[in-house]
Amino acid sequence: MKKHLMLVALVSALALVAASCGGDEEGGETGPTGPTAETGAGVTQGGVVREELTDFGFTGAFDPTGEYLGTAWSWYQQMLIRGLLMYPGVAGEEGNVPVPDLATDLGQVSADGLTVTFTLKDGVMFGPPVDREITSQDIAFAFQRINTESLVAQYGNYYCGTIVGMTCDAKSQDEPIEGIETPDDKTIVFTLERPTGDLLYRLAQPATYAMPPEVAGCFDKAGDYGRFLISSGPYMFMGSEDLDITSCDTMKPIEGWDPDSHMYLVRNPNYDAATDDVRDANFDGWTLTINTNLEDSYNKLLNGELDLLHGAPPAAILQQYLTNPDLQDNFKSEEGDRTWYLTMNLLVPPFDDIHVRKAANFVVDKAAMLQSTGGPSSGLIATTIEPPSVLPDLADYDPYASPNHAGDVEAAKAEMQQSRYDEDGDGVCDDPACDNVLMVNRNYEPWTEYTPILQENFAEIGINLKVRELEVGTSYTTIQTMNNLVPIAANAGWGKDYGSPYGFDFFLFNTAGLSCEGSVNYSNVGITEDVAKECGDNVVDAYNAAVEANGEIPNVDADMEACVATPLGPEYNACWAALDQKLMEEIVPWVPYRWGAANIALGDTVENYTFDQSAGLIAYSKIGVNNGLTIEEVTGTA
Amino acid sequence: MLRYIVRRLLWVLVTLLLITLITYLIFFVMPPTKPEVNFAGKQPTPELVAEVRRQFGLDKPVIVQYGLFAKRIFLGDEYGWPGLGFSFTTRDALKPIIFDRLLVTLQLAIGAAILWLLVGIPIGILSALRPRSVFDRAAMGFALFGVSTPVFFLGPVLLYIFWFKLGWLPGSGFYSIGQYGFEEWFMHMIMPWSVLALAFAAFYARMTRGNLIEAMGEDYIRTARAKGLSERRVVMKHGLRASLTPIVTILGLDLGALLGGALITETVFNLPGLGAFAVKSVFSGDLYAILDVTLIAAFFITFANLVVDVVYAFLDPRVRYT
Repeated sequence: MKKHLMLVALVSALALVAASCGGDEEGGETGPTGPTAETGAGVTQGGVVREELTDFGFTGAFDPTGEYLGTAWSWYQQMLIRGLLMYPGVAGEEGNVPVPDLATDLGQVSADGLTVTFTLKDGVMFGPPVDREITSQDIAFAFQRINTESLVAQYGNYYCGTIVGMTCDAKSQDEPIEGIETPDDKTIVFTLERPTGDLLYRLAQPATYAMPPEVAGCFDKAGDYGRFLISSGPYMFMGSEDLDITSCDTMKPIEGWDPDSHMYLVRNPNYDAATDDVRDANFDGWTLTINTNLEDSYNKLLNGELDLLHGAPPAAILQQYLTNPDLQDNFKSEEGDRTWYLTMNLLVPPFDDIHVRKAANFVVDKAAMLQSTGGPSSGLIATTIEPPSVLPDLADYDPYASPNHAGDVEAAKAEMQQSRYDEDGDGVCDDPACDNVLMVNRNYEPWTEYTPILQENFAEIGINLKVRELEVGTSYTTIQTMNNLVPIAANAGWGKDYGSPYGFDFFLFNTAGLSCEGSVNYSNVGITEDVAKECGDNVVDAYNAAVEANGEIPNVDADMEACVATPLGPEYNACWAALDQKLMEEIVPWVPYRWGAANIALGDTVENYTFDQSAGLIAYSKIGVNNGLTIEEVTGTA
Repeated sequence: MLRYIVRRLLWVLVTLLLITLITYLIFFVMPPTKPEVNFAGKQPTPELVAEVRRQFGLDKPVIVQYGLFAKRIFLGDEYGWPGLGFSFTTRDALKPIIFDRLLVTLQLAIGAAILWLLVGIPIGILSALRPRSVFDRAAMGFALFGVSTPVFFLGPVLLYIFWFKLGWLPGSGFYSIGQYGFEEWFMHMIMPWSVLALAFAAFYARMTRGNLIEAMGEDYIRTARAKGLSERRVVMKHGLRASLTPIVTILGLDLGALLGGALITETVFNLPGLGAFAVKSVFSGDLYAILDVTLIAAFFITFANLVVDVVYAFLDPRVRYT
């Protein structure tokens, strides 16, 4: 009964949020701001948003089933395709809460929490050349694709093991899933293995969005559908109408999207704004082109040849934006929902001792690190694992506080005194394990700026860091390979998958995140002897030595299980807040030092600037642009 | 001569195979990154990694992988001939991407080469004919500036002055003739050509000057003058022919190397050529793309060597091949 009430409360709470978001199409509580802020109907209709990037950087070739890049998720959701639920495209906590899109509401949950039913809106169509109404089978098909092994659903873990019959190892995308029923074209019913508090978040992820089997079903290898994506949102790839779908063999990639150079979007003629409570879709087209010269892109923006750019600008240009009064309003620094941290390995001396890890948290000068990154425009000083817009309960939590966040050497020494690496009790490590301690880092700014700061900080407690600065991909591969036994690393950062703490924490600290290659639980929280044995003799030796010295390696799997089963709401957040506190105080795998900002630079042509918290990018569905251009003029196809 | 060319072509094939084998070993056997991990997402579970490895063909023994690669090159693959494989990043065939980018690099390299020959050789000749004159000193000053000014400095400076500040020329980017017309294409190529050509023009001017001064002191030049030939004929027919022979060698090698991609110029001016593609591929661990670009660059260099050797026979009567 209690569980039933909690579920009712959850649905009610989300319905209220949805109502408030759905009714306010101008960006929720943040309101419109920016160089030419407009409101409501005042936003210019038409024009083309022109943007550049140095590289697409897709992880799954833009096939929604596998794609794991946050920017891709934003483009899907804000412009291209629609699912049962989505995010409202506003800033702050509200922006991280799902709202209905194709679904009429947030779903009906059964009393036992194991069945969730959604009804689809009428009249939502796929774009050309499919030109038919979206049905519940199109949603079910998206799940069948997630479940198909060869399609490499990169975040299939959110569904497999949660929805009955989903195992992510199906041999064909045509295999139906036991736990997904479509009794009619407008109804879809999910049966769950266990109550799942944040299911709605998972259903707002783009891999679950409607996909037409007659096109997507032609592609059975990872990423192949990306060039043929069929629109259901307000925009589609330019040239979509020319795609010949009479058979799988007649389809040629759509011209408006070339992964080597550009992505051009135009309006989808089948899109009906009456079916959409979230997207305003003010502009007529969007062009994204690759420019390998970042500085050049910013000069184009300043010259009026572009309308917006995402990401951190080169230092000289950033300074212009921060100091020139004419430009200050054109530069936005928003909460990026990303934590940058030092990761410490629980198996490797001297960080196998919790007191050393606590000392590390006290001694690091986070203020200096933030300053060397570019100051407040690059983010906030992190005091715990989850960023505040993901887990607001811990916004004021700082277990290792220091004056001005500049580090507290005395507190650090007090911790070091309690460790077995400080035999004379002077607060400075006097064990050989503290000499030449390997720290992996990236080989470019601002990470290279961190190196001297961290070497100086750690020297205060007797730890001499030997730093290896590597290209970013190599630095990740190095710490992801467990038998490298890297003691400490400064190259790592982690952004949310979605705005629930589960979507942030799970793989970082769960044993599911441990593997010999590609491990993301870099600290080895919860590692067992069996896992260590799989990864090599040196890992077993390190494991045995750590267990002998410190006892069993702490494990938080059970804590996570308990949190996952808690219905969404205050108790859910409290559960995850308690887990984060446990991690920060009883396990201490990280030194979180910065909650990264999302930077956006705008041209004077952009209207109704709104930030989409869920994606960490501009809310494309809300903004307008008053450049008066047509897609033909911009792409040279006039 | 024909037997010589055939023999050299066979050696080109052997060289290319050796180069691909070495590249293969560097990137596939001891890679700095693991593409199957990179392309399994942020949470690369062992199952995902294994599936990606299988789809990329990395689950087979290295020697088998290389054998399949070499076989595809000669016999073609599912995307046609030559079989250049697919991109790990885009999952698309590499052949059209590489050929499109090669066209851009060709336009850049050939345009720049014409420019540096038109500028460098006349400057070198005039300097040689008036050594230690004001013109000679100014020209050699230009040469010193050109050789010592890196593209990554000069490119942004020119962009800033002529595009951003003065607005006389358009900014970066490639605007194909087919899509945007000749004028748009030409205007966008002026700065990349100029920047790339400057260093080469300076070098060619110095080399032409040195060679011509040396040639003009030879006995056969004195003989030509003694026979009453005009100075113009002495310089153009006898002096220049001898002094340009080494220039042809260097031009062939320079062009061959540039066709593998003028990395910095392409990056600064946002030209989608082979050099920029090679860098992107290395950073993303797109192994077949790296191999293909290496293969093409090696082909142009070895082929250019062959062409230079053949041309030598026509330029220098003393050279004969059997």
